[in-house]
Amino acid sequence: MIRNRMEQLSIYKIRFLKFRQSHTLYVLYLTAVAALQFIAIAFFTKGFLLSRNVLDDINELKPSMYAANSSNNGFVHQQKFEKTVILVIDALRFDFVIPVNTNNSAYNSNHHNKITTLYDQFCKESVGKKQNNSLLLKFLADPPTTTLQRLKGLTTGSLPTFIDAGSNFDGTVIEEDNLIKQMYLNNKEVFFVGDDTWDALFSPFLSNHSIPYESLNVWDLDTVDNGVISYFNDNLIRSEEYKKKNSQWNVLIGHMLGVDHVGHKYGPNHFTMKEKQLQVNNFINDIINVIDDDTLLVIMGDHGMDHTGNHGGDSIDELESTLFLYSKRQNVWKLEDDHSVYNIDDLGSNYKSINQIDLVPTLALLLDIPIPFNNLGWPIKEIAVNELEQQFFSNITLDQLKKYQETNGLFPTGSDKYRMLENLFNTSKENYELSKEYQAYLLMLCKDLWANFEFPSIAIGIIFLFLSLIILITTTKLIPSIVVSQMVPIFVPLIIMMIFVSHLCLFSLFYVFQPPAFIEERFWCSLLATAIGITLACFSQIFERYSLKWLIFRFFGELSDYWSRVGSVFIILHAVIFTSNSFTIWEDRIISFFIATIGLFTMYEFIFVPNRESTSALLSGVLIAKERDSKKIRNFEEEVYSDCLPLTKIQRALGIYHSLILICCTRISSFITICREEQGDFCTPTFSTSSNYSINTIGILFVLMIVVPFCIQGYYNLTSSFQGSAPIWINLFLRLVLFGVFCLWGLNTVENYLNEPILEINMFKISLARSLAGVSLIALNFGWIFGPLCVNLGITRTKENSKENSATILGVKNIYGSQYFLLVLNIFMAVMIFSKPLAQISLYLMLNQILSVIEIIDMFKLKENIIGPVILNLIAYQHFFTTGHQATIPAVQWDAGFILSETISFPLTHIAIFLNTFGPQVLASVAIALFTLWKQPPLVLKPQTMLGRIVSNCGCLLIYNTVLCLSTFIWVTHFRRHLMVWKIFCPRFIFASLSLIVTQIIVILITIAFASGRLIRQINSFFWEF
Amino acid sequence: MPVKKRTNAIKKKSVTFSDDTTVTQNEHNKKDKDSEHPPVSVKKTIFTIPIHLLGLLYCYIFVSESFDTLKLLCGLIPTQILYVILQFNRNTVYGNKRLKVNVLLIFIAVFAALGVSLPIMLGIILFGAPLIDKSKETLLLALHASFLAYPAIYSVFNCNFKVGTWKKYFIFIILGGWISCIVIPLDWDREWQAWPIPVVIGSYIGAFFGYSTGSYFL
Repeated sequence: MIRNRMEQLSIYKIRFLKFRQSHTLYVLYLTAVAALQFIAIAFFTKGFLLSRNVLDDINELKPSMYAANSSNNGFVHQQKFEKTVILVIDALRFDFVIPVNTNNSAYNSNHHNKITTLYDQFCKESVGKKQNNSLLLKFLADPPTTTLQRLKGLTTGSLPTFIDAGSNFDGTVIEEDNLIKQMYLNNKEVFFVGDDTWDALFSPFLSNHSIPYESLNVWDLDTVDNGVISYFNDNLIRSEEYKKKNSQWNVLIGHMLGVDHVGHKYGPNHFTMKEKQLQVNNFINDIINVIDDDTLLVIMGDHGMDHTGNHGGDSIDELESTLFLYSKRQNVWKLEDDHSVYNIDDLGSNYKSINQIDLVPTLALLLDIPIPFNNLGWPIKEIAVNELEQQFFSNITLDQLKKYQETNGLFPTGSDKYRMLENLFNTSKENYELSKEYQAYLLMLCKDLWANFEFPSIAIGIIFLFLSLIILITTTKLIPSIVVSQMVPIFVPLIIMMIFVSHLCLFSLFYVFQPPAFIEERFWCSLLATAIGITLACFSQIFERYSLKWLIFRFFGELSDYWSRVGSVFIILHAVIFTSNSFTIWEDRIISFFIATIGLFTMYEFIFVPNRESTSALLSGVLIAKERDSKKIRNFEEEVYSDCLPLTKIQRALGIYHSLILICCTRISSFITICREEQGDFCTPTFSTSSNYSINTIGILFVLMIVVPFCIQGYYNLTSSFQGSAPIWINLFLRLVLFGVFCLWGLNTVENYLNEPILEINMFKISLARSLAGVSLIALNFGWIFGPLCVNLGITRTKENSKENSATILGVKNIYGSQYFLLVLNIFMAVMIFSKPLAQISLYLMLNQILSVIEIIDMFKLKENIIGPVILNLIAYQHFFTTGHQATIPAVQWDAGFILSETISFPLTHIAIFLNTFGPQVLASVAIALFTLWKQPPLVLKPQTMLGRIVSNCGCLLIYNTVLCLSTFIWVTHFRRHLMVWKIFCPRFIFASLSLIVTQIIVILITIAFASGRLIRQINSFFWEF
Repeated sequence: MPVKKRTNAIKKKSVTFSDDTTVTQNEHNKKDKDSEHPPVSVKKTIFTIPIHLLGLLYCYIFVSESFDTLKLLCGLIPTQILYVILQFNRNTVYGNKRLKVNVLLIFIAVFAALGVSLPIMLGIILFGAPLIDKSKETLLLALHASFLAYPAIYSVFNCNFKVGTWKKYFIFIILGGWISCIVIPLDWDREWQAWPIPVVIGSYIGAFFGYSTGSYFL
């Protein structure tokens, strides 16, 4: 007997170790597939996201030297101003500085008619008194309208490409020729104060006296501006040295961020904007008063802002900014004879505008420094006071452009474009008035060209992603999971070996032959070899065991039942969305529509289920029921079959209720939207600062905070699993954390109504947020590792008034699911901390939807069907949109980054922005295992089988995301010359890639590697069953 | 005593049975199971083709100015009633006999259709229609949908509430409306893209196919 026991124990130990081993191998194998997908994404991104060829040449020809060298009818050029003051006011939209009629429908008292100095100067002095000493123009930025790109454009005169948009957090010194560098090379001392992006870009060229300020903390409205103002006071306004004309600086640059930050934090319609603009107005007045005759004052905005106060895209509100040139000297400009071009009607929509890059040659000519080599701009017409000067400016810019065109070799001699350029150049030489056409054409060509795609990389990206899709489908859906678990031990070493072999082959091949351009770098070559290795290893293993014919046959077999077809139809429909810009724009509504449709399908199924026997799982239930009837099995055996019985009436009613919950929650949450700019009048944004911090929202949050734990309790009670650690977790931890989150955002609301921020509140907020994040991300997950079982011993009297008691373990039926869901709750709490109030409402609804979907899927016995992951992913996507996001760059909620810390610090800021943006996806990726685990009684499935089923469901989720990613790859390539590509398709492709990456990482690391393995091990050792 | 008990038991059983499969049971003859629930079907003839729907659609799209949905509804209700009397009911076979037109039921069904339109409107809103603004248009669409289903509603009343036989007609109308939603988000800037015009047209087409070919499906 004892020996027998020992044997059992050793068998148990061996099985336990075996499970651990195969679990690890599973994770490694999935990591390899994930690596393949990441490489595919990397290659595609490298090929598609544009990069510009930057030339390092420096122009050394000063305009005065040019004038002396050339035979310009004896024209002498010299610098017009000794000193220059440049004031950049971030996000100074053009309609902020011109008088707006109060009857105009767009008029807003908080941001219109507040900065009046500029137009007053221009209108009264320059135009009215014909002093011609100031010039106000509309300043058109090139997209993307982010500060880093604009500064690059403003100083180099070139067009920064899209890929630069991502490096806003990582600005590095500009190597290419630019204005600041030229000032430095020509011995001009440049003093700078303000936005530290300048410091990152130009630090070697700026004076040591410069003071950069932190720029990305959008919650801080005043530090930068006060710094700029006091610096200007010291060096200009109240400086004795300046009055005596012996100040140290030649160029004084200030960059104010207040207006931009108010826009980001409160939007342009908030009263804070008014105060900020009045402050700016006074400051400008002060500067204008003290400027002397030899100083040029340049005031400009780098971009505008949209109606929400954000920027980054290319809507007209974001592009239109202001340029103001001023001098005390009279007749330094020659305004257009026809003053009607300076037309301020209708928010200045017909006002004369110039390109932002035109400032570069303008300033270079005024200060007599060489025009930066890569410049594509054209000097502003008004700065030339007579025809001779006009001609000179044209000639020098034309020569610079020509030289740039020749050097960069973008248009090879003999091509049509080259000939066209030559023609235009020759005509310009003959008649200088036509020379702007040459510049305009060159600029247009360059804009086109910096859409320079690398097709081999794009093709490799698409091909490998497609191959990874096939691998995912075959190994998670087609091949039975038992076979896969047998294959995995061979897979992993084979993959490593094949990676080595393909590295060897590829590198030796390219040692002999010249590698193609796109993999010239070792790094990319090695990535390609890795991808080839993984693909070969997987396919060789698959085809060693199965024939292609069998796989195809199995594929269609897999799609033979009703729900699989429904699921795959919705995957395809979702992928088809990206074929049109209209559908992509309206993706948020379309996804809600899809979820409502699926909800209708499940409801139909619950109502009419007796008349329909096509659902295979239910059919088997019916068969077993018939069998049982015929055999007349006695009562106690019925328990065993109870899971396979056809749905009872109560269950059907419950199912209808769950379907309704799914549909209604979808509809309610879809009221929350931030609206893409393209949705226009058909969408009213509800996710705004004012609605987020309104009393109603906070009130709803308060109610939900109390109600939702009861809802979760209700779902637990369905299987009487509200036992053991569940009450502690849900009633204590969840409620506490949710209350903390409520306080955190309540404080934010209070702060929103205060005129000036109170430092103590801010400190308290950050420490509260940190402790909440610590509890939900670290402490609770650590606690979860110890295995909070949700079971309890229930003792009931068998007969009334008797002393016999019977004991049952309550909650056994859902022992896996109830425990796993506690982990989902941990993640949920973490996501909640970083979500704004309206987004929190959406997430509460999402939690209910997830639970309802799991119940529905469980009732239909569709635990391994593709439909479950499909609904879950649709829900995740829907809540991405209803938490105030859109697949556009300006919709990223950067301000969430400052919840955990006041300054940008790794990893606090990054975790916050990540969980804010991808919260729903993370939640869905973790919850996916619940399809298998929810209501899974112990001792029925082997641990291996259970793990296999979880992997299979995770595989479905990945397949869905891969299909979407592949679809965006293909369509963004197809639409690469489309008008909307950078605005609609490209952000969507970036979003799809990021979603796939996030899903992969979370699914592999958390769902499979961490949670499922540990849970199965714990519960099965609890029952001594392996 | 035992006899009485037995009959009670049988009665109880029959009640639960009918509750399980149909929504309500009719009052007359319960004795024979076959005569109680004779097979209901629609004849497979070309006479069930609802030509009036095509005519109405033609008027709606080409004749009426700026897609007058209300006027279309005024045209739809009488023509649907006529369609039931002249075409649909004549080709409905209940057991072995043709059914006569029940005038009272015609009116009841009209009110039923009016009543059904409210849940339909709720459903449309759940599918994403705006909640408050454009609620008039949404209600009109719901009325259209319910009166397109009018023949089916009438037949449900007329044939012992056998929902199972008639639900395919509802499905066709919903399907037509569902598919027509495709054109709503497109940026073609056509006047017929305004809510609810595409869905009205779609459900008409769905209803046309449904009533023409419904008899060929299960």
